[in-house]
Amino acid sequence: MKRLFKSIVIAAAMSALALSVVGCGKKEEKAAEPAANATAAAPKTIIFASDATYPPMQYTNDQKEIVGFEVDVIKAAGEKAGFKAEFKNVAWDGIFAGLSAGKYDAISSSVSITDERKATMDFSDPIMAIEQTLVVAKDEKATDLAGLKGKSVGAQIGTTSYLVLKDVKGFKAIKTYDEVGLAMEDLVKGSIQAVVADSPVAVEYTAHKYADKIKIAGVVKSDKVENIGIAVKKGNKDVLDLVNKGLAAIKADGTFDKIKAAHNMK
Amino acid sequence: MTESRKIDVGEGAAIPNRNDWGLFNAWVISIVGAITAIIYLLISRPDPYQRLLVYLGDGIVITFKVTIVSIICACGIGLITGLGRVSKNKAINLVASTYVEIIRGIPLLVQLFYIYYALGRFLNVPDLTAAIIAMSVCYGAYMGEVFRAGITAIDKGQTEAARSLGLNGRQTMFMVILPQAWRTILPPVGNEFIALLKDTSLVSILAVADLLRRGREFSSETFLYFETYTMVALVYLVITLILSKGVSIMEARLSHYVRR
Repeated sequence: MKRLFKSIVIAAAMSALALSVVGCGKKEEKAAEPAANATAAAPKTIIFASDATYPPMQYTNDQKEIVGFEVDVIKAAGEKAGFKAEFKNVAWDGIFAGLSAGKYDAISSSVSITDERKATMDFSDPIMAIEQTLVVAKDEKATDLAGLKGKSVGAQIGTTSYLVLKDVKGFKAIKTYDEVGLAMEDLVKGSIQAVVADSPVAVEYTAHKYADKIKIAGVVKSDKVENIGIAVKKGNKDVLDLVNKGLAAIKADGTFDKIKAAHNMK
Repeated sequence: MTESRKIDVGEGAAIPNRNDWGLFNAWVISIVGAITAIIYLLISRPDPYQRLLVYLGDGIVITFKVTIVSIICACGIGLITGLGRVSKNKAINLVASTYVEIIRGIPLLVQLFYIYYALGRFLNVPDLTAAIIAMSVCYGAYMGEVFRAGITAIDKGQTEAARSLGLNGRQTMFMVILPQAWRTILPPVGNEFIALLKDTSLVSILAVADLLRRGREFSSETFLYFETYTMVALVYLVITLILSKGVSIMEARLSHYVRR
């Protein structure tokens, strides 16, 4: 009994110590923040979170760098507006939670601008419009969601593509994947019969990665134009203004179109 | 009957002491706390929480399904592996040992990916089946070690006595050794059950719609991360606590005739 008591006391002391260490870490971080802001007088560094599993928009190349169309756009915008863009690879699933927790300044991850998201975060001016695209196996005859009733379909978790599927009734199952690539892999394997994805991604996978196995069946019609943009924490006007300034500049002088052409995008 | 040696395997949740029926022990405090917290949340803020719990409903069913089927399969695989590990036949022994060695050396998360995505290219198994296969194969190896430890913990005199009474090797194992070993290995096996239940949360990476995946779907859509994961954690806790009490009761039943 005495030994049990002793070990409890030791455990309590250790957890108290651990907590205080964590607490100190937090304090130090807070102390460092104002200093970082003070030195930001020169080109300001903006940290963008990016789910780099989304070719061709943002993905990791063999050098482990985050590259892609949207990365190039933001870097070019930074040159014009005077900020340095730094990219951080963050899993899509928790990317919005990290933004509201202040772990980074903005999200550059092909985020579609929706009214629901606008309620919890602010968005830059649209970068470009995309469409929700239906991808199926090469031999599938269905050309729209209605033709896939009774079958299993998939999309990346928490994306507008998933919301499109969720509104349609009659599927056997709607599967949500951590990465769009895993959904495409399951489609190629035949575990699911269709994937809904953003148009640039759908083109990338059907034209390059699995060109001989899957194809684009059609576009999911919508009465609203879906734009992608940069998300920032609500009220973070400094970052938003810089991003908007940069985006406007590269769109005005043709840099944006050049980047688009370089990535073979329509 | 001599009291069998105590063995200590596994690192799952603690099985509550079967003789402790007091009002203030860790188990009672945890379960009362968890259930009270769930009820409090459901009543105080019905809007996200009730909707959330309904949304999680079929995820809980899937989690149970994976757990129960995997436990049954893993027990079977574990028993065969355990017998193989104590077998005097060199070939059988080697096969069983190699299986345990390989499976225990690969993280469960990697095994899940491997069975579903890597092997999936050759044999296309549905996600739920792949999840159950991976969990069973992995926990079968762990369970095999528990069975082996339990069998070897039985006094050699038992075997000698049984053999001198004219039982053959198989009869000795199934009628004398295993019934005694079962009692010794129940706590560690119960630990494995609970560890398995908790590890079923890993199958959500295969896009299996289990409890965790449903929670992630809900939170990624509503941005209610705190609310969602609080509820998911509480639900897992309640299930685990009930299971651990079940194991504890079973343990008490099996050993009621052993004098302490």
